[in-house]
Amino acid sequence: MNRAITLVRADAEAVLEGRNGQLEALRGQHLFISGGTGFLGAWLLELAAVLNERHGFGLTVTVFSRNARAFAQRWPHLGGLEWITFQDGDIRYLSELPRETRYIIHAAALTDRRLFASQPSAVAETNGLGTLRLLRAANLLEDLKNVVLMSSCLVYGQQPWETAQINESFAGPLRSNDVNAVYAESKRFAEMIAQCAISESKLPVVTVRPFAFVGPYQSLELPWAVTDFIRDSLAGGPIRIMGDGATVRSIMYGSDFAFGVLSALAVGKPRETYNLGSPEAIDLGSLARMITQFFSPVPEIRTRVGQVGHDRNRLVPAIDRAAADLGLKVTVPLPEALQRTIAWNRFIQNK
Amino acid sequence: MTDQPSITVCDATLRDGSHAYSHQITLEQVTAYATAAEAAGFSFLEVGHGNGLGASSLQVGESLVPEGEMLSAAKKCLRRTKLSVHVIPGFATIKREIVNALEAGVDLFRVGCHCTEADITQRHIGYVRSAGHETWGVLMMSHMAPKEVLLEEAKKLQSYGAQGVVLMDSAGAYFPQEVTAKIGLLASRLDVPVGFHAHDNLGLSIANSLAALEAGARIIDGTAKGFGAGAGNAPLELLAAVLRQRGYPCSVDLYRALDAAEVAARLFAGSLPESTGITIVSGLAGVFSGFSKPVQRAAAQLGVDPRDVLVELGRRKVVGGQEDIILEVAAELARGSNLSAPNP
Amino acid sequence: MTPPTERLPVAILGTGNIGTDLLLKVLRSPVLDCRLFAGRNLASPGMSKASHLNVPVSAKGIDSIQELKGEIALVFDATSAPDHLKHAPVFEQMGVVALDLTPAKVGRMCVPAVNLDECLGLPNVNMVTCGGQAAIPLAWAIAQANAQVEYVETVSSIASRSAGPATRINLDEYLDTTEMGLQLFAGCPRTKAILNLNPAQPCIHMQTTIMAKITHPDLLRTREKVAAMVAMIKKYVPGYQLILPPMIEGGRMVMMVRVDGLGDYLPKYAGNLDIINCAAIAFAEACAHRRNS
Repeated sequence: MNRAITLVRADAEAVLEGRNGQLEALRGQHLFISGGTGFLGAWLLELAAVLNERHGFGLTVTVFSRNARAFAQRWPHLGGLEWITFQDGDIRYLSELPRETRYIIHAAALTDRRLFASQPSAVAETNGLGTLRLLRAANLLEDLKNVVLMSSCLVYGQQPWETAQINESFAGPLRSNDVNAVYAESKRFAEMIAQCAISESKLPVVTVRPFAFVGPYQSLELPWAVTDFIRDSLAGGPIRIMGDGATVRSIMYGSDFAFGVLSALAVGKPRETYNLGSPEAIDLGSLARMITQFFSPVPEIRTRVGQVGHDRNRLVPAIDRAAADLGLKVTVPLPEALQRTIAWNRFIQNK
Repeated sequence: MTDQPSITVCDATLRDGSHAYSHQITLEQVTAYATAAEAAGFSFLEVGHGNGLGASSLQVGESLVPEGEMLSAAKKCLRRTKLSVHVIPGFATIKREIVNALEAGVDLFRVGCHCTEADITQRHIGYVRSAGHETWGVLMMSHMAPKEVLLEEAKKLQSYGAQGVVLMDSAGAYFPQEVTAKIGLLASRLDVPVGFHAHDNLGLSIANSLAALEAGARIIDGTAKGFGAGAGNAPLELLAAVLRQRGYPCSVDLYRALDAAEVAARLFAGSLPESTGITIVSGLAGVFSGFSKPVQRAAAQLGVDPRDVLVELGRRKVVGGQEDIILEVAAELARGSNLSAPNP
Repeated sequence: MTPPTERLPVAILGTGNIGTDLLLKVLRSPVLDCRLFAGRNLASPGMSKASHLNVPVSAKGIDSIQELKGEIALVFDATSAPDHLKHAPVFEQMGVVALDLTPAKVGRMCVPAVNLDECLGLPNVNMVTCGGQAAIPLAWAIAQANAQVEYVETVSSIASRSAGPATRINLDEYLDTTEMGLQLFAGCPRTKAILNLNPAQPCIHMQTTIMAKITHPDLLRTREKVAAMVAMIKKYVPGYQLILPPMIEGGRMVMMVRVDGLGDYLPKYAGNLDIINCAAIAFAEACAHRRNS
């Protein structure tokens, strides 16, 4: 466990090295993070710890989620920090924010694919209504500086195969009459709610559209290709790819992700929308091979495991805007990101 | 440029000029100037207190002549040129001011608000539309908001029924680049025509007006000899010349416009606007042009530098209509105390 | 020895931001007892807050208030003007005092610093407007200190964020009501109200200027009366400050006040909303004291 903590701590320090100046606006401030107990939340707290302990930022944080206290217990090295308040609650019923809140990261959402299938209404309600509740509460704050809305790359709909990278003005087809699109549509609705709050009350909201990530604290039970491949490899393989491995993704490491979000909070331009992710494309076949390198013996990779004609698709962001405004960049190359994630998971499994 | 749509030229001499004349314009002056404006063929003649209908007050100055009388007198002189008024919700109400102005024969109601507060105009615009008259929305102090915000607010105005949207440079703070960006965005994304109302605090009123036209504005405001608040507006006689030279079609007769300027020069001699230290600092500080005279008065009474008052007003981001804050700021400066930020 | 004041049983109808802020003030009062916090939406943040504070809540709106006939003495109505018009007859029938925080103006205008005593015992009183609560006491003080007040005017500047959609769509009514209040209390036939919204960040606090045209102004006496009035208002609106004492400038009498909100539920910059709530509490507490004597 200690080695896991040390690994992440080293990553957090590395990503902030020489770049914490970017986050100066947050010094001494109170951050409210909704849904701060998932992958992103954990990394945000890790970075906040470094900002406080290494750079004297004096941040205080409220983490609001349905399992805030359980999270604190699971990760005592974060749960025990006295400048973090863990508040259990459901974003749908949020009524008030701590009065001293000046910065908000709204990441509370239902993101579990099994829920999309069995409780799509809850997904729509939490992701849409939850955003409405949060922004209404934000409207009563004395001196709100910035809100980051964690949206999703899935709001884009299908990226055309010929388009190498999508930028923020891309708009794919809506699928509002298909329940399988509930997550994407609920995130679109959340974005719209934010725009309404901006128009009516001039709330400062920055919309962030995250793409794909890997890293410590990410549950390997998630149905993403990268987590599937790592989980399967840790279990000895084989890695099973539905299609021919030509599907293209891009994957960013957790520390770069969290830095991007904090940067959006500190210097993101209100009303602006930013893609957040790695611009470096990789096809699933190559990703699988990259991952299996870290295992001995090398796990088998099976392709075309799914139905014939399984669609190949692409999801890769252009991050020029985030690079310019937020200083977003990939500081942890993918092979290193994968290697560290695997190491962390091994450390956790061996505890 | 023969394919150009016709430019609507709005003559605000008898409205913005009210600021330059401490709102003491007489009926004789109204009649004399309105006659000249009609002859010159301006599209609209705007008449009334500098802050619009119902603004005669201790806050922004009391009018010599009741607005109903001014409007009727002007109306009598106009045939092709139409009569317009400026209306600010928060100063004017529908029941009192708009109803009476409709009776006086006003053709166009230009409903104005601070550039981020379009939703306060909804009922007023709606009322004029349902009364069957023309109405535009006006975003005042528009240097204080980025172009995306201005577009959002302009779209609200449009949705309420505004048939035109005018960006006002109430502080005379714009530079041509900013005009191009803001007017350009609105002109490309709104359905209704877009206009620009310049002030000359930084000597850029004509350059800014030209930039607006080139960026797609189809409505342009000016006043004779620039007779208006602060350092004045874009002089109509110069606008007429510039429009002619650049080939913009409009209803204005150049020589008659030049004559109208001479009429204004005679009528308002001694009160024609000029560039002074106060108007320059006002433009730099982004303060409403109409504050120049009350700032001078308060500063003189309290023994402080009016330019310091203007800088502080700009720092506080004071909007049009907040002339009372002038006194607070001048009094604080006089006390020599540290100026506190709005939150203690 | 006087026995301790029994708490006046009250209810609040309307669970939006104003009603919720009012609730917190009622809970803090030693002489008021909130028996019910009623509205239409159990899911509203206000309802949630009330529930957490163990205040009985109901989503049955006016019906739940009616069920308390005989048990409550006063109802704060923080709904809307059209709704208050429907509620007022119900309150009358119930025999409770209706304290109207909406612009409906069914009953008497009450500005505690000026006419509190007259209003005690009336079945329906309203709190005028925010600008009215801030300006009317001073307009009254001016009228007390000067013989011939020809004209009174008030200008208020409030933070854009403190002006919700209801305020914005009802600007005209706000101006009318404020002017009517000024006329009534200052005894002055010609009055004018102006409202400015300012979007500056951080939000500005409410500022109100009162100006008057007086034939022979008595500045000294005006200053005395105004100072006394400000002291009285501060008792129930602690954040009320005279930032520009009466002076004569440009031929007019001018004075300025600022209202810093208490920040109970509404933010501190919303002094405009806070002053109405403070005035309402002052009235209700006076009812409580009256009942006990």
